[in-house]
Amino acid sequence: MFGKMLLRVLTRQKKKSLLIVLTVALGVSLATSMLNVMFDVGDKVNQELKAYGANLNIVPKGASFVSDMYQIDDNNQATPSQFIQEDELVKIKMIFWAYNIVDFAPYLSVTANIDDKPVKIVGTWFDKHLIIPTGDEIDTGMLAMKSWWQIDGSKMVDDNLHGAMMGETLAKKLNLKIGDEFTIVAPKTQQIITLTVNNIFHSGGIEDSEIYVSLPIAQKLADKVGLVERIEVSALTTPENELARRAAQDPNSLSRNEWDVWYCTAYISSIAYQLEEVMPSVRVKAIMQVAESEGAILQKTQLLMILLTILSLVCSALAISNLVTANVIERSAEIGLLKALGASNSAVAMLIICEILIIGFIGGVIGYFIGVGFAQIIGYTVFGSTIEPKILIIPLVGLMVLFITLLGSVPALRMMIFLKPIDVLHGR
Amino acid sequence: MLNKNRLFITKTLLSSLIRRRSRILVALLGTAIGATVLFGMVTLCYDIPRQMGKAFRSYGANIIFMPAGSHATIDLNLVNAATDLIPSTQRIGVTPFRYLAVRSNVVPYTLVGTDFQQITKTSPYWLIEGQFPSQDNEIMIGIDVANYAHLSIGDIMPIAGKSRQNDNFDQIFKIVGIVKTGKTEDSFIFVNFTKLESLLQEQNQAEVIELSISAPKEELQNYIAKVKLNFPSIEPHLIKWVTQSETQVLGKLSSLLYLVTSVVLILTMICVATTMMTVVIERRKEIGLKKALGAENRRIAKEFLAESLFLGFIGGLIGSLFGLLFAQVISREVFGSSIVFEFYLIPFTILISMLVTVVACLMPVKQAVEVEPALVLRGE
Amino acid sequence: MNILEVNNVSKNYGSLYALADINMTVGDGKWLSIMGPSGSGKSTLMNIIGCMDKPTSGSVILDGQDITQLSLTDLTVIRRDKIGLIFQQFHLVPYLTALENVMLAQYYHSMVDEKEALNALERVGLHARAKHLPRQLSGGEQQRVCIARALINYPKLILADEPTGNLDEANESLVMNLLHQLHQEGSSIIVVTHSPEVAKHAETTVVLEHGKIAQIIDNLK
Repeated sequence: MFGKMLLRVLTRQKKKSLLIVLTVALGVSLATSMLNVMFDVGDKVNQELKAYGANLNIVPKGASFVSDMYQIDDNNQATPSQFIQEDELVKIKMIFWAYNIVDFAPYLSVTANIDDKPVKIVGTWFDKHLIIPTGDEIDTGMLAMKSWWQIDGSKMVDDNLHGAMMGETLAKKLNLKIGDEFTIVAPKTQQIITLTVNNIFHSGGIEDSEIYVSLPIAQKLADKVGLVERIEVSALTTPENELARRAAQDPNSLSRNEWDVWYCTAYISSIAYQLEEVMPSVRVKAIMQVAESEGAILQKTQLLMILLTILSLVCSALAISNLVTANVIERSAEIGLLKALGASNSAVAMLIICEILIIGFIGGVIGYFIGVGFAQIIGYTVFGSTIEPKILIIPLVGLMVLFITLLGSVPALRMMIFLKPIDVLHGR
Repeated sequence: MLNKNRLFITKTLLSSLIRRRSRILVALLGTAIGATVLFGMVTLCYDIPRQMGKAFRSYGANIIFMPAGSHATIDLNLVNAATDLIPSTQRIGVTPFRYLAVRSNVVPYTLVGTDFQQITKTSPYWLIEGQFPSQDNEIMIGIDVANYAHLSIGDIMPIAGKSRQNDNFDQIFKIVGIVKTGKTEDSFIFVNFTKLESLLQEQNQAEVIELSISAPKEELQNYIAKVKLNFPSIEPHLIKWVTQSETQVLGKLSSLLYLVTSVVLILTMICVATTMMTVVIERRKEIGLKKALGAENRRIAKEFLAESLFLGFIGGLIGSLFGLLFAQVISREVFGSSIVFEFYLIPFTILISMLVTVVACLMPVKQAVEVEPALVLRGE
Repeated sequence: MNILEVNNVSKNYGSLYALADINMTVGDGKWLSIMGPSGSGKSTLMNIIGCMDKPTSGSVILDGQDITQLSLTDLTVIRRDKIGLIFQQFHLVPYLTALENVMLAQYYHSMVDEKEALNALERVGLHARAKHLPRQLSGGEQQRVCIARALINYPKLILADEPTGNLDEANESLVMNLLHQLHQEGSSIIVVTHSPEVAKHAETTVVLEHGKIAQIIDNLK
């Protein structure tokens, strides 16, 4: 009988039940999409912040002073006395957090003469295809890291041993256009190399008066075959916290447990530490400007999303429970009748709760899928990638619906207990 | 005479609002929630890109001034005049730098004079162990210098060099801080700007000025053009690395916010509408009775219109207040600063919530008036 | 002159006949009862006469006007100008006082007049309870408010659907006395009921069975 009545209530009040289902579905979809976006926003924004380029700088251990200041002319620059072996570069992708290394590029600079004027030539990987001993294959290089460069001309490739990317300022000074040829004289060996301008780029920094070439050319010019001067690495990192800061000071100061946590978290300091482990002859320096700012922005974005999510949850909860309350109160006549027929408070409460829960369940299921859809729309529109639906959200939302609908029926249930059947039936 | 009728219907409307307290509360709560979300989210949408822009200033300077032509330095008075072109609210920091080649125990170093107070603003990312020099005989050294020369905080360091007038100086400094940035600063020695001036025996000259300005790229470019025009001895540069990436990432974050806002708004507005609908559907019998008494459809619709307008207004007003509160809380929590809100958003919010309640009310009313009263009144 | 003429009225819902070929007339100032068991078509007939429903075929002439030819909007106007309705379930607006409920009928008809509304309430003996809400009134009092509301616009025809259905005997006689008073003042009255006791008050009783007129009783004889 109970089941039959429940069925009748649900099917007879079709329109009203439908409205509640709709509201629950909307509330749940709001919660689902916000939760999904919230859980994923960290990764997505982190990915976006890679636009700022490298956050780690790898230099040879002995090199004391690296000159890469953006504007200070360093004519008396001492040539770095130490170098890193080019073959060691693959090891970067073999650390514990290899998956978090987004991109890296080696650099070797040499001052050579063009028309008897000294010009800084930098050899690098543009977009090199690498085969890692672990079996992975990746493409890595400078082009992906310098997203803010404005580059004219066809894409530079590493196999192009006759091409060069020339800074805008320098090209103007030398009066060269894309396709023009120029000759470089190596300082030590007096070797002469003729190159073609493949691209002209604008970086807004000192690079604008430099020339970028494929690494082998620079190595030949500098007479440093198989060697690089420094490596820039762009890695996805977790924002720094107290533990990470302490570890950055001195990893040995951590307790065993802390050390494990630190080592297994993608803090910039632990990635730097792991890189130093696999490449004993280097020093890995975190570029604070990028690392710290990334952390700050990431935290702000996440906090913002969390607060907005909480707000949406509260609002959808209020809206749903509000409606549930309205619906149950409205049916006081029916409840009065049931009570008059001898139904106990608990029996009536059972009926109401079951009904609300069934409606809530249907609405919740519909809402979940709408919410996942909304999350995907947001993911695609903003970040151009899917937002992976987290399984965790399903029980979370389920609990929310359960809690909210029950909460929404509380005032109605209270009212019901104090309801005298006569009052209702006599229309008072 | 007509006034009597108007007075009566106004009174009945008020009665409806006052005597149906619990339902009105439900409806009012619904509209207030909608208005809160609307006001709060729109306010945040207005303000957050700006606040986020400020957060992005942690990446440091986005404009540098360099001496134009063959000059080695810029007069700081000119710099002050040039930076006055920027509204003070957008000017985060202006830091002068002056470099001097020095020796310490025969090893060459670069001594940098700067304003440490401004450094905390233009380069908040500097990781400092110890503290900034406050006395003239104190210095801060880069981590590479510290490692190379095996120096630590509290040690002393002799520094020798030449002034502009070619007078030699040789003074002893106390190390109070070690800076780590992962970039060139790691190999410099820092001293108070005024101290370096006294060592150099010159005044008000800087080689590089770093500016951190909270403004979008286009504004920065306008500013640069203005400086170029008015101050020929200054060569301003946009630090593209910072501005370009900021534009890109900030754009994404803003569109994320806009999208989230629209999703939240659409869903809450529909929620509000369904709540209003259930509250009105309940009154079908009343509508039937009024029809039986001879009320035309338009008259009934008008009554409900007035009631929903009133509900929308009150709900919108309450919602605006709560929305402001919640935008303020979020702004405080996330960015640590007060929200700037636009006053015209209050009438806007009220208008929208009135619109939503009216639409949500009139839909079921329209349905109800089309049904013949007999069907509604019979039984039940 | 007849206030109401019902000619060959039929009403069917699909293949189900609620009314079949009903003919009757009500003279001006007459009191008619429509009696019959549940499902006999009383309520359908009353709804058609009350301009709240339309017959499938046949014509209804109310105060000289064929209401079957009118649009829904025109029916609304006829209803408020010529008919005073009394319902079994009273149907008072729950959030309005007794006085306001009466005034609501004035409002939709023409112009509110508090004094007149109070007079109407006085006539039904509810002057003291004018400011009470329906839920504060007893069933009989609620029905009397309904009668006050029905007569406030001086309708040509008072149409009562089971006016005493929800009332005890004391209240029943109160209500019937009121209807008698109205009748004596010249109002035409149609009362729909299943109770022979109530039907007896009328001059004529029409008995419906299965949608047809089974019997016409002249109570005066």
